[in-house]
Amino acid sequence: MTVDSQGAVDSASVDTPRGAASQTPPPASGPGEAVPPPRGRRRMPSGILPYLLIAPAVASMAVLLLYPLVKNLILSLQQLNRREMITRETVWIGVDNYTKLLSDPDFWNVVLRSLFFTAANVALIMGLGTLIGLLLNRLGKAMRLTLSLALMFAWAMPIVASVTIFRWLFDEQFGVVNWLMRTLGFAGYEQHNWFETGFSTLVIVTLLVVWGSVPFVALNMYAGLTTVGSELYEAAKMDGAGGWRTFWSVVFPNLKPFFLITTFLEIIWVFKAFAQVYAMNLGGPDRGSETLPVYAYIEGLGQQHYGLAAAISILTIVMLLAAMSFYFRLILKQEEEQ
Amino acid sequence: MSTPTSTPQSLRRRPPLRPAAILKNLTALALAAVFLFPVYWMFSSSLKPQHEILSKDPVFLFTPTFENYPTATGVDLFWTFVRNSLIVTLGAVLLALLVALAASFAIARMKFKGRKGMVLVVMMAQMAPWEVMVIAMYMIARDGAMLNSIPLLTAIYFVMVLPFTIWTLRGFIAAVPVELEEAAQIDGCTRGQAFRKVIFPLLAPGLMSTSLFGFITAWNEFAMVLVLNKDKEAHTLTLWLTQFQTAFGDDWGATMAASTLFALPVLIVFLFLQRRAVGGMTAGAVKG
Amino acid sequence: MKRRLIAAIGVAGMMVSVAACGTDSGDNGDSSAGGEKTLTVWVMDGSAPEAWIAEVNKEFEAKHEGVTVKVETQQWNGIQEKVTTALSEDTPPDVLELGNTQTAGYAVTGGLADLTADKDKLGYAGWNKGMLASAELDGKLFSAPWYAANRVVVYDKAAFKKAGVTPPKTREEWIDGLEKIKKSDPDVQPIYLPGQSWYVFAGFLWDEGGDLAVKDGDTWKGALATPEAVAAMNFYKELQSFSTAPQDKDEATPQQSTDIVPKGDVASWIGLGWEAGGAITAIEEAGGKADFGYFPIPGKTADTPGSVFFGGSNLAIAERSKNKDLATEWLALAAGKEHMAKYAEAVTGSLLPNNDSVQFKPEAGSFAEAMGLAAPVGKITPVTPGWVNVETAPNPIKDYMTKVLKGTDPMKAGEEADKVITERVNQE
Repeated sequence: MTVDSQGAVDSASVDTPRGAASQTPPPASGPGEAVPPPRGRRRMPSGILPYLLIAPAVASMAVLLLYPLVKNLILSLQQLNRREMITRETVWIGVDNYTKLLSDPDFWNVVLRSLFFTAANVALIMGLGTLIGLLLNRLGKAMRLTLSLALMFAWAMPIVASVTIFRWLFDEQFGVVNWLMRTLGFAGYEQHNWFETGFSTLVIVTLLVVWGSVPFVALNMYAGLTTVGSELYEAAKMDGAGGWRTFWSVVFPNLKPFFLITTFLEIIWVFKAFAQVYAMNLGGPDRGSETLPVYAYIEGLGQQHYGLAAAISILTIVMLLAAMSFYFRLILKQEEEQ
Repeated sequence: MSTPTSTPQSLRRRPPLRPAAILKNLTALALAAVFLFPVYWMFSSSLKPQHEILSKDPVFLFTPTFENYPTATGVDLFWTFVRNSLIVTLGAVLLALLVALAASFAIARMKFKGRKGMVLVVMMAQMAPWEVMVIAMYMIARDGAMLNSIPLLTAIYFVMVLPFTIWTLRGFIAAVPVELEEAAQIDGCTRGQAFRKVIFPLLAPGLMSTSLFGFITAWNEFAMVLVLNKDKEAHTLTLWLTQFQTAFGDDWGATMAASTLFALPVLIVFLFLQRRAVGGMTAGAVKG
Repeated sequence: MKRRLIAAIGVAGMMVSVAACGTDSGDNGDSSAGGEKTLTVWVMDGSAPEAWIAEVNKEFEAKHEGVTVKVETQQWNGIQEKVTTALSEDTPPDVLELGNTQTAGYAVTGGLADLTADKDKLGYAGWNKGMLASAELDGKLFSAPWYAANRVVVYDKAAFKKAGVTPPKTREEWIDGLEKIKKSDPDVQPIYLPGQSWYVFAGFLWDEGGDLAVKDGDTWKGALATPEAVAAMNFYKELQSFSTAPQDKDEATPQQSTDIVPKGDVASWIGLGWEAGGAITAIEEAGGKADFGYFPIPGKTADTPGSVFFGGSNLAIAERSKNKDLATEWLALAAGKEHMAKYAEAVTGSLLPNNDSVQFKPEAGSFAEAMGLAAPVGKITPVTPGWVNVETAPNPIKDYMTKVLKGTDPMKAGEEADKVITERVNQE
């Protein structure tokens, strides 16, 4: 899905009374295991029952996810352009789509750009989201409500609208930002072009993506924080720990699962983000702001080379899997610890 | 504004207005403004006549006009779009909750061979690049004569939100102490009864906040419905949002009015679920 | 968002504002009742005046009992993918409108019905030869021309009068006039011309005797690294220097007609009929009064106006249509002489109908009059199936223009663009 449309997994406790933290049992929280579950959980050996329980999920994913994926893989081995699509001809071309892509320096440029873009965005989102989450935790009730409401509004805004608004804000002729710079007395903003280069375009896209994704992280972070008992903070404070140390010695270890899973989700979402990047400047100027999904769209769907598009998507999946294998291991390890 | 009347715990017993507290509140206000501004700009643009929407010096003071709203909702088949959007969104979310509840219970509470594999599958499914699979999905639907089908769209959205739903619910279930369940079983409940009477009520807030994510994903989905459902009768509201940018010019007022209306249900669901979720949580705890 | 295609396709609309062309005619269209048939017609947003198409359908339904015509208005945004997939379906639209630069690209796929045998029925003999070019491929007829339009210069009479400028006949007079306007009022843009108005550039290129792509044996190749293109681009650059419009945008972002011109301070701009109409409506809605004059884009000499791109649309029938005969009947009726005459009237001449004998007599001083003056020098983009790939975003011609305007050597930028054009134009 697109970055903007993420839900706050558990905004449930955004408005939770402060007392929630000390409640027993600990309230449900965060994505995945934001709360380390009580230790010593017993799992019951259960025969056939678990298989029955997971069967509907497995079956539906097999039909509506695995099957299209396999179909996609098959399409990636075909020449499927406008003509073949309309005549419904099947033209096998082996791995031609792949060799074409892998031998194209443009493709590799785009891959690199995508990686940097994703890394920068995720770092910013996680950093800012965490800080705002911490801030929420330390605010008075009224201010906390104000800020969480603002976050919710941002997150509820439809993507068509948010991209349009950001384009307007940074418009060369009518942009509010140029107006603001002029009003503040800066020279050179009469008609400053914020989309002059691919890099500057991606900076604006980053603003949009970060703006749209931070609410998710911040609200969940706050929800997670309410489950860290306040005694722990107090204890840390008594030991004379500063804010920085408190964070690393108390908050981070307690919320490690939260950071793990949220980062995982953000990496996926940002890497796949399409509408924000494409609609901002159509991948321009001169193709300088194309990320992998945009490249797939332009070379594949735009030029109506559907087989090539399928190959790009398969390569995208492979790359994501490779990049995430580290994560899979971490999360699986955590599985075992439980 | 808020002098910290309800002082956070860490500040309790301290005089209310220290520089640090002021700084904190100011930061929060500034942040709130930054996050709200684009939303405010969308809303205010929806109340402006066309010629005031884009201008060299932005218009902050204006006489609001409401004519953009009737323009937005007055399009042909508007109520059909609303109905379709509600069906696919609610259908997908409810289905996902049901299926995910079963699966996540198994993963969180039971020991079985392949459990880790299942966790891995759910994680990988979360990575599925749906947008680029549109054409494959289209060809499947076309060859199966299932184009323009609301049920198919519902099913696709259901699988789109399923991995995340399983993932999240599993966390919620894991957070319910096993002891509660065991205690109920000692009291003579069957396992099913224990689940229904003990776990489920405690899970209510989790179910609700999880469904929020699914709601947003399905509500905003664009790429699939665009390609799969060409028939206007089978369109959803996301397609409606883009229809005011036409060959005659872009009706930005109507676009922003439509966007505002489109965001409303999400906000309402959000606020509603939030209150209920909190209520559900305490209720569950008391009963437990 | 592929909405920039709106401009790329260069479709013409009309002066009268049609809020939403009927989605369907009469009651909700669907007639699944026994023995009844529905003929589905796709028209593009802005192409078919509501009253006109309703009349066509009424007459058609009266002639063919039990047949309902369902008209579905499509947005230009993302239309290619939609048409491609629709043509691959078992129940495609029976009749569909295609941009004239796209038609060849679909004709070659086999998705369009071959209409060669129905030439007489459709009124082939009377069709405008210029428009016909895009409807045929390799001697076969794949669509009926519907309408065409070209751009003219729209000017604010008051601003021209104030500077003492009259509509120019040659490029020199044009530039002189713009200079005068600039001097008379520094706050006014003498002409609004964004850097990527590539159809305008194409006209200049044709004036120099060049073209966007040329045939080279069996294949095509881009032709921007040529002295003709350099000359054309130099003139474009000179003209563009009178404008503060962005150099890396086209005329649709922001929409010059509804978002730029109505704000005032624009003495002239280059646009289509629907754009002029849209601008007038927008100005009036804002409480102003538009007083526009129109003149053809000046040529190199006073005897011929500058070349212009002849944008327009054709009507085709899907090969997989289940109602091909009915569709042909409908096409013959809608694109026939009688209804095309009414069409020209409905759009007050701002679109040229497919038949020269039914041209609307435009009012003196109207957009249509200026357009008609330039129509004889109208040209279209290369008629080859691969052309449609070239226009698809990111359009290499647009990137080329921006680069040259920002100072890159035109030959160097042209070579880069030619590489992309050559690659794309030879793909089907």
